[in-house]
Amino acid sequence: VSDTIEVTERAEAAPPGRPTRRILRRVGEEFLRRREASVLVVAVGLGIYFAYAEPAFLTQPNLVNISQATAPTAIVAAGMVLVMVSGEIDLSVGAVYALAPFNMHYLIDYYSVPVIPAILLALLISAVIGFANGFITWVFKVPSFVTTLGTLNVVIGIVLVTSHAYPSPIPDQATGAVQRWLGGADWSQLIWCLLIVGFFHLVLTSTRWGLHTVAVGGNLLGATEAGIRAGRIKIGNFMIVATLGGFAGIMDAFRINTIDPNLGGGTTIMFAAVSAAVIGGTALAGGSGTVIGAFLGALVLAELQNGMNLIGISANPYFIILGLAILVSMIANVYLSRLRRAGRT
Amino acid sequence: MAKVDPVVEQAVDTLGLNPITRRRLLTGAGLTSATLAASALLAACGSNDNKSSSGSAAAAGAGDFPSTPKYKFVFVCHVTTNSFFTPTQYGAQDACALLNTEFQWTGSKDAVVAEMVNATNTAISAKADGIALAVVDKAAFKAPVDQALDAGIPVVSYNADGAKGDPGTNRLAYIGQGLYESGLALGQRALDAGLASGDVVGFIATPGALNIQPRIDGASDAIKQSGKPIKFTPVGTNADVVKGASIIDAYAQGHPNLTGMLAVDAGSTEALGKTVAKYKLRDKSLKVAGGFDLNPGTLTAVKAGNLDYTIDQQPYLQGFLPVLYLYLYKLSGGLIAPPETNTGLLFVTKENVDPYLQTKTRFEGSSTQQQVVQRSGAIAHA
Repeated sequence: VSDTIEVTERAEAAPPGRPTRRILRRVGEEFLRRREASVLVVAVGLGIYFAYAEPAFLTQPNLVNISQATAPTAIVAAGMVLVMVSGEIDLSVGAVYALAPFNMHYLIDYYSVPVIPAILLALLISAVIGFANGFITWVFKVPSFVTTLGTLNVVIGIVLVTSHAYPSPIPDQATGAVQRWLGGADWSQLIWCLLIVGFFHLVLTSTRWGLHTVAVGGNLLGATEAGIRAGRIKIGNFMIVATLGGFAGIMDAFRINTIDPNLGGGTTIMFAAVSAAVIGGTALAGGSGTVIGAFLGALVLAELQNGMNLIGISANPYFIILGLAILVSMIANVYLSRLRRAGRT
Repeated sequence: MAKVDPVVEQAVDTLGLNPITRRRLLTGAGLTSATLAASALLAACGSNDNKSSSGSAAAAGAGDFPSTPKYKFVFVCHVTTNSFFTPTQYGAQDACALLNTEFQWTGSKDAVVAEMVNATNTAISAKADGIALAVVDKAAFKAPVDQALDAGIPVVSYNADGAKGDPGTNRLAYIGQGLYESGLALGQRALDAGLASGDVVGFIATPGALNIQPRIDGASDAIKQSGKPIKFTPVGTNADVVKGASIIDAYAQGHPNLTGMLAVDAGSTEALGKTVAKYKLRDKSLKVAGGFDLNPGTLTAVKAGNLDYTIDQQPYLQGFLPVLYLYLYKLSGGLIAPPETNTGLLFVTKENVDPYLQTKTRFEGSSTQQQVVQRSGAIAHA
């Protein structure tokens, strides 16, 4: 992938006029200085490769496929970045993702709650689970890995018990416009995803909440001494990721037109979101991360999955190739970020 | 292809192949043979009119069939890496080799419906020539299947086909076991084997999953309809075989007076056999134990008498037949419509279990090797 950069740079540098060259170099440096640059290069590189290998990759219906595979992961990853930047992790979000559409279904079909309030209530319940995660982690000082491992199992159990492990149809009242707006229509998931990613990017980079999140994750003691209420920040971020998980779950249920107790397999979407965040440049240890990077990370994962399906790689060798592709892309990513840091000094 | 140019024959002789390969090559079956033939021709005879000869070899279709593009069929599975489907993949592979087509095995590793829908949609955008789909949810696949049909892509279902009385999609046909019927048969067989009263348990790995739930419904109905004083209790185990085994173990310890133990999925059946052996339940009140599929542990348990029977649903055919049907559909322009096919309900008991244990074949997924399995003696019949 680093070759691609050199090639484009050489191509850009080709015109002999000196001022233009300087401007282009400035633009290039500015670009490379951004944390998301390397993963963007990887995403674009993969796109070019797959488009070259299989013309169907860039057709409109397939772009819809890719967007639908990217969006739920990216939405969950947006919240996951906040939690991870504040120095914690949430393993339970995949279970919340499965529970939220069931809660919506129970509220509508058994308690006759109108559709929109039912969805909002389902999100509220998700937020309460996030609160519990944060509360147990902060007040009882249980490591979040363990806390959320516990809630992961509790919530999955609740899903299986209440649904009798049986899939449910989308409630009649929710079909039609609501379903289309919330995931059913081709591009609706992507639009929500971009709005959410944009919003939380601003939250993380330009608000006090974001600043405090970085501070708490980077140096907990320093942050508390400086008067930041770390508990509030951490609990809040747990609530954000759980709510986003619930929202992604509801949208995915609308998209596949069924409420499945195995939605996300409990851990599939959580694992994808953590991977997307890390691929996008969020540190596992906390203190730094980017929401847009996580979106691009989710895009890379979706591209790999879709592209390999498209060129006809079967399920068993798929994992070998996916694993190798992740390693190669990420080695390129690390190499590119090293270039970036070198350029900065 | 009946007549082979003598020059081609000579050229092929230079390759030093065994007689079967040689004949296959000369009759032009398979892409490899075409390539081989072409390379042999190029290598062996520079002087001859090899263009037309190699051209005719490459243009030939499978067997007597006319030349076709190399059709690509996509199998979407709910548990892509589950060993149950290993023979299914071999079946598809063998059918593809026979018909000079190719297939892709994809879907979800952990029965995640969203991933299966993604894989189906991708197959549609990739303009696959046919799709075989395990319909494990009765609502999620309706739209994707309709889209595929709208795009002119034939779709059949295999292994799972929606719920009882509701196939869940507009697929052209189902190739697999009649799930509810097989459950009925499981229960009926238990009654025939002398189950008359007492507590009976039915283990199911994933209650509600449409590839096995109809079976337990069938078993339950069979026992109810018999009118005998039997109390049937369905018990959920786990998709994870190891966890499932400990649940079955615990249940057996807690209920020492069971008269029958049934299981409706491969993992639970295997674990059931082990549990019966571990607690020597056959020496106690247990009259009947039976289940599904041909896991190695299940077969040894049948041999040892810990299980009375297990039901073979012939997964090999669930891969072989979809390819064959989709190919014929494409070849005939839709005149040959895929037929509904029950891949079978074969009881494996102590009497006929030996060949399953002694041979390792592609048909059971226990060997990758192509071979002719010799059988001898009378064919068992009623």
